[in-house]
Amino acid sequence: MSKVKPAALPPDTVIGGYRIIRKVAAGGFGVVYLALDSEGQQVAVKEYLPASLASRSAGELAPQVPSEKLSLYRLGLKSFFEEGRALAQISHPSVVSVMNFFRENETVYMVMNYLEGAALQDFIITARDQKQQKVFRESTIRSLFDEILRGLRIVHQHKMLHLDIKPANIFITDDNKSVLIDFGAAREVLSKEGNFIRPMYTPGFAAPEMYRRDSSMGPWTDIYAIGACMYACMQGYPPNEAPQRLEKDRIATALTRLRGVYSDNLIEVVEWCMALDPLSRPQSVFALQKELSREGERRYTKLSVAEKVRLQFDTMVTDTKKNSKALASSVVKPK
Amino acid sequence: MKFSVFQVSRKGGRQLNEDRMGYSYTRSSCILLLADGMGGHPEGEVAAQLALQAMSALYQKQANPEIADIPAFLTSAVMAAHRQIIQYAIEKGMLDTPRTTVVAAIVQNGTASWAHCGDSRFYMVRKAQLVVRTRDHSYLEQPPKGHSPARLAAHQNRNILFTCLGSPAKPVFDMAGPVPLQQGDKILLCSDGLWGTLSDDEIVHEIGQGVVGQTVPDMVEMALQRAGATSDNVTAIALEWETPDDFESTKGDHQTGQMHDGVYASTVQSGGLDSGEDDLDDAAIERSIAEINEAIRRSAARRR
Repeated sequence: MSKVKPAALPPDTVIGGYRIIRKVAAGGFGVVYLALDSEGQQVAVKEYLPASLASRSAGELAPQVPSEKLSLYRLGLKSFFEEGRALAQISHPSVVSVMNFFRENETVYMVMNYLEGAALQDFIITARDQKQQKVFRESTIRSLFDEILRGLRIVHQHKMLHLDIKPANIFITDDNKSVLIDFGAAREVLSKEGNFIRPMYTPGFAAPEMYRRDSSMGPWTDIYAIGACMYACMQGYPPNEAPQRLEKDRIATALTRLRGVYSDNLIEVVEWCMALDPLSRPQSVFALQKELSREGERRYTKLSVAEKVRLQFDTMVTDTKKNSKALASSVVKPK
Repeated sequence: MKFSVFQVSRKGGRQLNEDRMGYSYTRSSCILLLADGMGGHPEGEVAAQLALQAMSALYQKQANPEIADIPAFLTSAVMAAHRQIIQYAIEKGMLDTPRTTVVAAIVQNGTASWAHCGDSRFYMVRKAQLVVRTRDHSYLEQPPKGHSPARLAAHQNRNILFTCLGSPAKPVFDMAGPVPLQQGDKILLCSDGLWGTLSDDEIVHEIGQGVVGQTVPDMVEMALQRAGATSDNVTAIALEWETPDDFESTKGDHQTGQMHDGVYASTVQSGGLDSGEDDLDDAAIERSIAEINEAIRRSAARRR
């Protein structure tokens, strides 16, 4: 196994008529570059270059794949094609679009529209650091997820699941549009092939059925992640991960704290999306959209004094636990 | 618990790869599985897939996070796999049943236990020495007692098995373990595509050479190249046992200590029996790219 990451292509390399400006990201599957097309338009070019199977020294173009890894390399290529196929069928402003797909340097490249802006993740971190009661305004959350749900609905219509929706994969462009990105995990629901599925999930946003990898995954699996993203937009932090919730579920308490800050309807929607039982969640994006767009004045139920005391006590207990843990670790690792 | 696993299945000169493999693990237990669907009967790849799914499903149910009674589990898992295959044949009204071999190994509490039916093998290797391997259920490896030399000679074909899963006769299977593991011990499950081409000495030598992530693919490649164009499918899955404070780690490591109770990871696929084509060749790659570009053009046209 090569421990050294394959080298990215240097700036000014021309591939398939696109001139590379710089590397913008690198993941397990490959490298993403900012590039210019023949008309000087900015594009994102994703190169298939799995770091564990291929190597490339600086200055070289074609990756080297040892013969014993060739079949795994080609298996990975299939997933790369799946992502391309998935995105090619979808044309929606809330889903990143693929513009071209080509073969060069003995590997393949996917050209996508280049988005300028930042991931929702970055916005959440900035907002929560301001330490205000609300992380995002309710109207912001509603319009952001209204756009994302429109895109997700189209994805599901094509019999695909995203399976890795999280604030890092929701992109907010500089002209204020939200776009769903990184379909690397997207798989066609009806045709599962390939010799292995890697257990892959993002803690906090992955529904409990993702950990089991059984056949109970469906639109409701992405809907759980949507609920978790909304939760993160309200709390500033991701929710507890599903296995932890199965042991002791603190989501309801955490949401109770937000009563009066966010409307009852929004809190209820998040709770509904994040039900541990897949059947208790909205079964389709449409059902969720209907509930989110419900007309009428928003009701806010403030916490009663008794509830506030109870929550206060709960916080004390949790804080004490946290503090003692922090203390314990500082004893183990004195700095 | 800390271990590394590497698994690989390569198609030889056969039309289909009927081999299946996978592993599943919880915080403190791990199961490795390998099945080789049998030719000469229909849908061997289905039998192999069903066997793995049935055993992996039962493991998921019973590993909480450990298997309480390993021999009882192995017995019921092998029988559940057998029944699933028979059930499948009945439901499809098949004249002949699909059949498969199977070998399974469980690692927990620092020990290994295993079971097998047919000629897929289990090897345990310590410091480049063979500790133990399974005996195939073939007449070659287990000659029937009291037969004349002439009759025995007729049984020298290693491919003739006297038991398997999915046949109308109740399967015969062997179990062994628990055998305590030492740091660096390797266990290997493989199909006859590997041991039919490489000798035991070669397999033990190869696997004893280094980390499983390197030795296993090398060994499989070696078997494929030696057998040439007519090679059987070659499938192998190997685990290396590491102690928790072993600092030199290999890629593909699994450290299960941070896993929560009730969490389970698996490479055994559920559903979807079609394995698809094995490798993408150049023509298939070109076809995929053309299809994607066609879809891009259609979507772009819709947008206008």
